[in-house]
Amino acid sequence: MTSQLSRLGCLLLVLGIIGCEQQNDPVYRDQFFAFGTLIDISLYGVEQPLAESVCRQIEQDFMAMHASWHAWQPGSLATLNRHLSALEEHTIEPTILPLLMEAQRLSRLSAGLFNPVMGNLIALWGFHDNTLPLGTLPDKTAISEWLAQSPSSNDIAIDGTLISSRNPSVAYDLGGIAKGYAIDRAIEHLREAGIHNAIINAGGDLRAIGKHGERPWRIGIRHPRENGILASIDVSGDDSVFTSGDYERFFEVDGKRYHHIIDPRTGYPAMNTTSVTVIHSNAVTADAASTALFVAGPDQWWSTANDMGIRYVMLIDALGTIHINPAMQSRIHFEPGINAEIRLSAPLQ
Amino acid sequence: MTRADHILILLAVCAMPLLYIHLWFGEEPAGLAQIRNGNNVLVIETLQPDRMLHISGPLGESTVEVNNGRIRFASSPCRTQVCVHSGWLTNAGEFAACLPNRISLTLLGKDPRFDAINY
Repeated sequence: MTSQLSRLGCLLLVLGIIGCEQQNDPVYRDQFFAFGTLIDISLYGVEQPLAESVCRQIEQDFMAMHASWHAWQPGSLATLNRHLSALEEHTIEPTILPLLMEAQRLSRLSAGLFNPVMGNLIALWGFHDNTLPLGTLPDKTAISEWLAQSPSSNDIAIDGTLISSRNPSVAYDLGGIAKGYAIDRAIEHLREAGIHNAIINAGGDLRAIGKHGERPWRIGIRHPRENGILASIDVSGDDSVFTSGDYERFFEVDGKRYHHIIDPRTGYPAMNTTSVTVIHSNAVTADAASTALFVAGPDQWWSTANDMGIRYVMLIDALGTIHINPAMQSRIHFEPGINAEIRLSAPLQ
Repeated sequence: MTRADHILILLAVCAMPLLYIHLWFGEEPAGLAQIRNGNNVLVIETLQPDRMLHISGPLGESTVEVNNGRIRFASSPCRTQVCVHSGWLTNAGEFAACLPNRISLTLLGKDPRFDAINY
């Protein structure tokens, strides 16, 4: 009898421990400001000392990258831009080379819709700084002159670490891929530290690896025009979810919205799109693609996505119609009450 | 094994389902919000009682309102006012940030509906 009661006692103890287990939150969460935005890191099942240590290293890495890559503040990229505008060759730090190579590759894949050397045009609009422009339209003549010179990544020659340009209006602004590149590096860092279940979210653009324990990571996609969530996506494995929207940075003149995603073909903000969400395993590709597909707009996004190797796209046009490919439609769950028109495209290849 | 031991075990057996109900299925109490000021200052605030919080950032003072278990930026010295337009945070995991004034609000909770928000 005593033995049976002892077993019962042990069973109760085990059940009690299991009952209490859920109380400990298995997700370690850390936040810091970098790249002019809020960086949010979630790590599943990682001991606190390791989590704290790795988050501080990622923070330092982000700070160093931001300082080095800012196009208009003293740093590697600003120095490079000064030399390129004078048509002088310049030897860059080896650490920045992979970012420039990626920028060139992705620009070519997008047929220039993602243009990493349109820094002077972005500055004309005032979107080169972390603060919003004062709300005045740029001089039309200045935009026409920029368009006449039409700087593109094809004007850049990369020979080892030696960079040169044949077009004096070339000026790097890597705002379209810097966050994605930094996120990819942070994920590499996590994996080297033995962390395989995590989300790095940089101001709403994120890469999620692994899972949240026994379930996938649950990602909510914010509605571009209303408070609340438009849809959700589950991630278990390795996916980057990036959205470019006209609501992120903009100013209004005479009731018309001028946002920060500039079409390099016209010199003006791309006005036919409200937001584009893409999924790709690689954050830097997702980052550039979300910009390129936004510029491509409702008529051209499909071919651009194919050219860039993107398999999951949702584009919301200026009228609120949702354009989506079948693979994306099978992954996304719209919130109840979302009744926008949905146009299903042909499958992406 | 005494009579008292038997009673104790009986009570433990009866209490076990309550333990599970409380810890696995229980409603999250009033809730907490994490307020980050720059990269260094972190404050955890309860969402009761209703009140206004005044937080200083590089641009000036942001006002954060706690009301009926919710939290929001009520006013901000920034020009964009994106933080104020973010509205009320009501569900665990939601957050709003004033990037120019480097202040962020995150609603904490046991099992938020979303692990991250894309926008």
